[in-house]
Amino acid sequence: MKSTMPIIETASPILLRKPIYQGSSARPHTRHLFAILAALLAFSGCDRKTETAGGTKNQLTIALLPKSKGNQFFLTVEKGARQAADEIGAKLLFDGPTDNDPAKQNEIIENWISLGVDAIAAASQNKGGISLPLKKARAKGVTVVTYDSDANDEARSFFINQATPKSIGETLMDSAAKLCGEEGEFAIITGTLTAGNLNTWRGFIEARLAEKYPRMKLVATKPCDDDKGKAQQEAANLISAYPSLKCIMAITSPAVPGAAEAVKQAGKAGMVKVLGLGLPSENRAYVKEGVTQAVILWNLCDLGYLTVKAAAAVKNGTLKPGATTFDAGRLGNLKVEGDNILLGAPIIFTSENIDQYQF
Amino acid sequence: MNDKNCPPNSRQRVAGVLRRMLSRQESVVFVVLIFEILLFSAIGRNFLAPDNVRNIVRHSVEIGLLALVMTPIILTGGIDLSVGSMMGLCAVAFGMLWGEAHFAPWLAACAAVAIGTAGGAINAGLITRLGLPPLIVTLGTFSLFRGLAEALTGGSKSFTDFPDSFLSLGNSLAFGVPVQAWVLVVVSLFVWGLVHRTTAGRAFRAIGFAPEGARYAGIPVGKRIAFAYTLAGAVAGLAAVIFVSRVGEARANAGTGYELAAITAVVLGGTSIFGGTGSVYGTLLGVASVAVLSNGLSRILSISDISRELSGMLTGALLLVALAGGALTKALAERPHRSKPADPVNSESAGRKEK
Amino acid sequence: MMQKYMRELSIAFVLALLLLALAVFAPNFFAIHPLLSRLTAQSPALVAAIGMTLVIVCRQIDISIGSQFGMCAVVAGVLAAKGMSLPVVLLASAGAGAVMGATNGALVAWLRLPSIVVTLATMVTWAEALRLWQQGRLLDLPAHVKWLSLGQTAGQTTLVVFTVVLVLFAAWAMRNLAAGRHVFAVGNDAEAARLAGIDPQWVTFGVFVLMGVLMGIAAVMNIAQSPQVQPTCGDGLELKVIAACVVGGVAVSGGRGGLLGVFLGFLLLANVNPALTHFHAQAYWEKAIQGLVILLAVVADGVCSKLPNKAGDSKAK
Repeated sequence: MKSTMPIIETASPILLRKPIYQGSSARPHTRHLFAILAALLAFSGCDRKTETAGGTKNQLTIALLPKSKGNQFFLTVEKGARQAADEIGAKLLFDGPTDNDPAKQNEIIENWISLGVDAIAAASQNKGGISLPLKKARAKGVTVVTYDSDANDEARSFFINQATPKSIGETLMDSAAKLCGEEGEFAIITGTLTAGNLNTWRGFIEARLAEKYPRMKLVATKPCDDDKGKAQQEAANLISAYPSLKCIMAITSPAVPGAAEAVKQAGKAGMVKVLGLGLPSENRAYVKEGVTQAVILWNLCDLGYLTVKAAAAVKNGTLKPGATTFDAGRLGNLKVEGDNILLGAPIIFTSENIDQYQF
Repeated sequence: MNDKNCPPNSRQRVAGVLRRMLSRQESVVFVVLIFEILLFSAIGRNFLAPDNVRNIVRHSVEIGLLALVMTPIILTGGIDLSVGSMMGLCAVAFGMLWGEAHFAPWLAACAAVAIGTAGGAINAGLITRLGLPPLIVTLGTFSLFRGLAEALTGGSKSFTDFPDSFLSLGNSLAFGVPVQAWVLVVVSLFVWGLVHRTTAGRAFRAIGFAPEGARYAGIPVGKRIAFAYTLAGAVAGLAAVIFVSRVGEARANAGTGYELAAITAVVLGGTSIFGGTGSVYGTLLGVASVAVLSNGLSRILSISDISRELSGMLTGALLLVALAGGALTKALAERPHRSKPADPVNSESAGRKEK
Repeated sequence: MMQKYMRELSIAFVLALLLLALAVFAPNFFAIHPLLSRLTAQSPALVAAIGMTLVIVCRQIDISIGSQFGMCAVVAGVLAAKGMSLPVVLLASAGAGAVMGATNGALVAWLRLPSIVVTLATMVTWAEALRLWQQGRLLDLPAHVKWLSLGQTAGQTTLVVFTVVLVLFAAWAMRNLAAGRHVFAVGNDAEAARLAGIDPQWVTFGVFVLMGVLMGIAAVMNIAQSPQVQPTCGDGLELKVIAACVVGGVAVSGGRGGLLGVFLGFLLLANVNPALTHFHAQAYWEKAIQGLVILLAVVADGVCSKLPNKAGDSKAK
């Protein structure tokens, strides 16, 4: 092919009537390609009967969507979700994005819709964006609930609220204020600057700061890309750059042990307080050593359990809009406020109670 | 041995055809694609259902667009790592023009494409005027464009609640086919025409094969290369608009990782990363086989929890197998005619302009 | 001589400016303990940069080092958690890196596949395999791994000194050992090297294996700094390291480059973010500034090579 390629450009018209270089084996493939494209387009266009994803008769298929798949936070939620699924005899599908591509959650939901799942429980990365496929799902009769991070109201029946973003933000700010004696400088380490619910919590933290703690100052907000090592380096830089820093608030779970390690290595344990939203299992050692003063979370297993129970209940009609309580199996009767099912208040893990929790 | 006086019998003819077919990577990928479709329609749930096929098409349009314009670039022996970040920048620009400057969506879309073109022109200028290696220039713009997108939004701002008329671009059907698929068809025809039916397309191959030779033959090398990179920027802007319409949100992290997916598709489809050989239908086959693989695995419910990781691993393996297969069959085909000892590593690239 | 070290001098100049600005506006940057911690945290990436320099000088590229790093870190962590001693852990980590490097090397050297595509494929494959294995769980490490059982200051000093010694040794070896000169020869012109009696395939293979071994060492240096291992710890490492090499003057067309430039380039890029923090600037400028630094370095290279007096340096492209 290379030897037959003419390399002298003449004043030939820009459009060649016949390609000179193509070998004869090319044309059959072009034909085949057009055939495949035509077939795919034709399939796109016609209607056919499809099977549903239900397994045995009456077995529900519930699909759980985390914000990201490789995160211990959501893996713990999944554990609780599986418990509930086993209890009610439902099938649980679990899939989520593994990178920072904002389209992945939408693609996964659209795939589930076409698989014919009965219910989708989603923790949204992009509130506006995810509402598009969730609305499509509802239009097809799929039950949609959200947990951890809400979507638009019309996109879901209920939002399983571990704690309202407002109460999360306020608990964080209040705990930090208590640790600092309500005055001094503090910094926030967040996951990424684009994450939806992290930004919502930051908004409430800053609102609470402005409202109640005029003698405290937020000096910096740094992202760590959910990488513990980066969080450690950011925390070390913050401690060095702001000598009067009194507290580091880590609002994404990998950052809490990272920040604690940085404080410990800088020899400032106890002088620079560390608190954040993290898992007890990842922070147990630091809490016991007194490097991290408070880890705030909610029972992730319970969150997963409640989400699946609620999704199943909405699907078979036991939970209807307008309900004020919901019987959540081993969690007892929980409050329903409007379309929010409340798990409860955030739990503050300290050295006294951290051993009670094993996740 | 073929004797010129004896015509080949039917067995030798079939063997010859098979050898010619397998020596082209496009054929191998084609076979892989057919195999995937057959496999998944047998063991996947509802794989061939129309809404699933529509999903496969809809989810791969942006990567398809990027892979299409990546083809002429790789044909010239270059590479463009910045197209994904360009998507992010254009998406943010689109969002800001619509959300804050209150442009009409179509006007903001045109502006986004214009910004993409400008970004592509920056790449083109640095590569052609200053003679810098494309790998390095686009590595820098990869960071720079994404960084600009994040700086413009403070990292966190996003734009949503677009009007339904705009969202229909990414989410509804025209003549039973997803709307953005028609855009992909038009761009495919354009790029195919450019690469396979114009002198400019021939110039891309010539430049990839022997840049100095192309220059001596009178090909305007600088102009052609600049055109390829600028086109890539413009189409990245278009892809950004389609992406925002499909996802319903304009964010700085739009298009993350798409450049590597595009390069994977192009190389899988038989275009040599060293330049000089390749085809647009190979690229389309590459895009299709990766999209079908990833979707098909997710339709097998019993492994649905690990289908994502599995599809990533298999894509990587597929790429290696396709390349190794192509290299091995070529080596086997060349063996009887070889008159000099084995070429050293990178013999193809000896004397060529490096990325 | 000035022209030969133009790149190193210009980076040193910019770095000096940055350090001067920090000394004036943010002298806290130079406090000993934070500085030592910062250097220790940056050391694993610098070790990786040594390997990448060799790979790029050999006219190849390796974008799978992030996945290799994560895999080696997890292998080391799992073995340490089982109670293995440090030397065994180090050996195993380096061994795992060598195996991954050998895979890359074999595909590139003997099957003659393009390195960017091979390492793209292996990057994805190993990252997904790691995700299947560990699923993002944080791995707890036993106490004897922390600081290589030396205590914090001694451990940090050891790691930093080790890195500096390694850089110096590698810089010397690249110029003075036959193996080092072979890498330059193959990167310059593989055919000429073959005619001169060097086997380009073994050199290429060796360069990838060495990269893997260095990643294994870097991974152990990393896990010694914290009591938990996160499997995604290598994400984004390849871009940081390649950027440092490019800024440091290593030519992507192969055959040219030195570790001094890479060392300076690495220091410059790695300290953009800490500098921003110390200047009390906003976080979202980090990527834009890094991209700008890379482009400036590259443009300066291009402009310099177009200057009329430059002695026929056609490899500058």
